[in-house]
Amino acid sequence: MKNIIKIAIRNLFRYTRRTLLTTTLISIGVILVIVFAGLGGSFKSAMIGIITDSMLADVQVHKSGYVETIDNIPLNIFLTENEMEVLQPKLDNNAKIEAYSPRIKFGAMISDYNQTSNIRLSGVYPEKEQATCPTLTDRFSGVSDPINFVKPGEIIIPDILVKGLNVEIGNDVVIVGTNRHGSVNGLSLKIVGVSEGVMGPQGKEGFIHIEDALNLLRMDETEISEVAIRLNRGEDVKIAYTELNQALSGEKSEDGSRIYEVHPWNKLTHFGSIANIVDLLIMMVRVILISIVLISVMNIMMMSVFERTSEIGTIAAIGTSPRKILSLFLAEGFFLGFISTLAGVIIGVGLLLFMQWQPVQFTFGPMENLVLIPDIPIKEVLATSGIVVLVSLFASWQPARKASKLEPVDALGHV
Amino acid sequence: MSLIKMENVTKIYHTGEISVTALQNINLEIDKGSFISFIGPSGSGKTTLLNLIGCLDKPTEGDIIVNDVKINLLDRKNGAKFRGDSLGFVFQNFNLVPVLTVYENVEYPLLMVKNVPVSERRTRVLDLLEKVNMLDQKNKYPNQISGGQKQRVAVARALVTNPSVVLADEPTANLDHKTALKVIDIMRQMKKELGTTFIFSTHDPKIVGNAEIVYTLEDGKIVNNKKGGE
Ligand SMILES: Nc1ncnc2c1ncn2[C@@H]1O[C@H](COP(=O)(O)OP(=O)(O)OP(=O)(O)O)[C@@H](O)[C@H]1O
Ligand SMILES: [Mg+2]
Repeated sequence: MKNIIKIAIRNLFRYTRRTLLTTTLISIGVILVIVFAGLGGSFKSAMIGIITDSMLADVQVHKSGYVETIDNIPLNIFLTENEMEVLQPKLDNNAKIEAYSPRIKFGAMISDYNQTSNIRLSGVYPEKEQATCPTLTDRFSGVSDPINFVKPGEIIIPDILVKGLNVEIGNDVVIVGTNRHGSVNGLSLKIVGVSEGVMGPQGKEGFIHIEDALNLLRMDETEISEVAIRLNRGEDVKIAYTELNQALSGEKSEDGSRIYEVHPWNKLTHFGSIANIVDLLIMMVRVILISIVLISVMNIMMMSVFERTSEIGTIAAIGTSPRKILSLFLAEGFFLGFISTLAGVIIGVGLLLFMQWQPVQFTFGPMENLVLIPDIPIKEVLATSGIVVLVSLFASWQPARKASKLEPVDALGHV
Repeated sequence: MSLIKMENVTKIYHTGEISVTALQNINLEIDKGSFISFIGPSGSGKTTLLNLIGCLDKPTEGDIIVNDVKINLLDRKNGAKFRGDSLGFVFQNFNLVPVLTVYENVEYPLLMVKNVPVSERRTRVLDLLEKVNMLDQKNKYPNQISGGQKQRVAVARALVTNPSVVLADEPTANLDHKTALKVIDIMRQMKKELGTTFIFSTHDPKIVGNAEIVYTLEDGKIVNNKKGGE
């Protein structure tokens, strides 16, 4: 075995330039996969982190039919107080749930007495919202108390309105809302903070206290448009969603339809499909890598067998068994793949480490100065190395077999 | 009992429509420890004959018995094993493995074919390199030594497994006359020391003089044999 490896490696470096070219090609492929997976993966988890930790949380519960019409911000598909009383114990007693936050969402007009604009608002219990979306307040500027970030009589407005309306923190604005019965009401609020916009459906919202929302919409009882739920472990989203959906599926209204609907975060934002596209791209780079390895290793091995035909004839004539000849060429292909992978992994991981040390800043939609700190995708590195080595072996199989099947007389006569 | 016996051996090559009879009804016995040469014009069947004895090719008809083994019945795997155990080869183009040093080339059959333990390997390789006078070049690669030196290494490689027969098809064709004689001399000396049977083919009448028995081939038939020096 040791000798087969020795001979295989020496043969590999016999045509230094050719081997180096192939090795470089495969290494570049490996580097691409690793760097792409590292960057793509951390981009994905950074974005998912922003979405789940500062906007949507992990799972949301609505009154059935709400999400279907969510773009209109419906005012008539709310969970009633009774329905909330049924829901809350189920959430309180679920061990997977860390916190939840009931929200009232609606569209309104905002005016600084000179100009008027539209605004989407979320009426929240600040301490519950903070527990459910802990990084939400990181997006706020001017807020003094992050736990109780908005009190009755106060408003946090999205940064686009600061420019649009020419207002600043400390100013008073008037919010004018229409409730589900068409009755119009106004409320004067003081700007206490500005929220930085992020991508997504709720990225440009303002925040008020839930009591103000109830007043503005003249609601007699505390009806809720959505309940955002934070899980102890974000990875559990699929199981937790399924369990909760199951638990709530039995709650039916009089006409037999479901009262509650449950959605995991990825069904509530288009970023779910962006994440899928990132995965697809990584997959494509992987397929390209496999093709590169397959074609280049097969090519180099076929050339080797052809050029060394008389050498193969010699070792066969002096008694080397066909099996050993097969192993010699398989070992050569294996090490071609192995050395290339090793080089690719070292450079690829090196590049990612460099990017950890000197992080890349980028802008994604309305989000500026996002910092991308790539993880080392260990699973990806192992999988890629394994695939390249296996494909190299596979690609050498046919040429190696051909070598082992050569008749010594014919091979010896080959010049 | 002779070491090699050919009985009614015929070899016909078929290439498409045409068939060429390379050997015709050869009967031949070779004793252990002989030093034998085949001569004859180009195309007379020398290579074919050596390939058959060397278990590299199969006769169309007839039997070939080497070392009590009917070698025309061996399959690929057992043929390779037989060659590794009982035969040694020296080629016209030397055919050393270019990525191995002189030492490693001679060691190759012991290591890759026969699995001989390391200490014994070392003694045998060094012993043979000394016998062919190549000990001082043992760490060089084949492209760093001359043709005559390569052929001496090839002789050492052929002998290292202690084969009964060494087959050499035109071993001196690529060497100048003086070097050729030196290589043949070494083979004779090895035959004397080790009792190995040597069979070689050649065009060169001056070299033939060194053989004990000379067979002349013509059109695939043995037309004459004589003792050397006659
Ligand atoms: N593989 C083959 N296919 C077809 N015909 C062949 C083959 N090998 C040899 N022959 C034919 O068999 C005959 C004997 O060839 P062989 O090579 O044995 O002669 P040789 O005595 O070794 O000649 P040379 O001195 O040129 O090496 C020739 O007519 C040759 O053309
Ligand atoms: Mg010939």
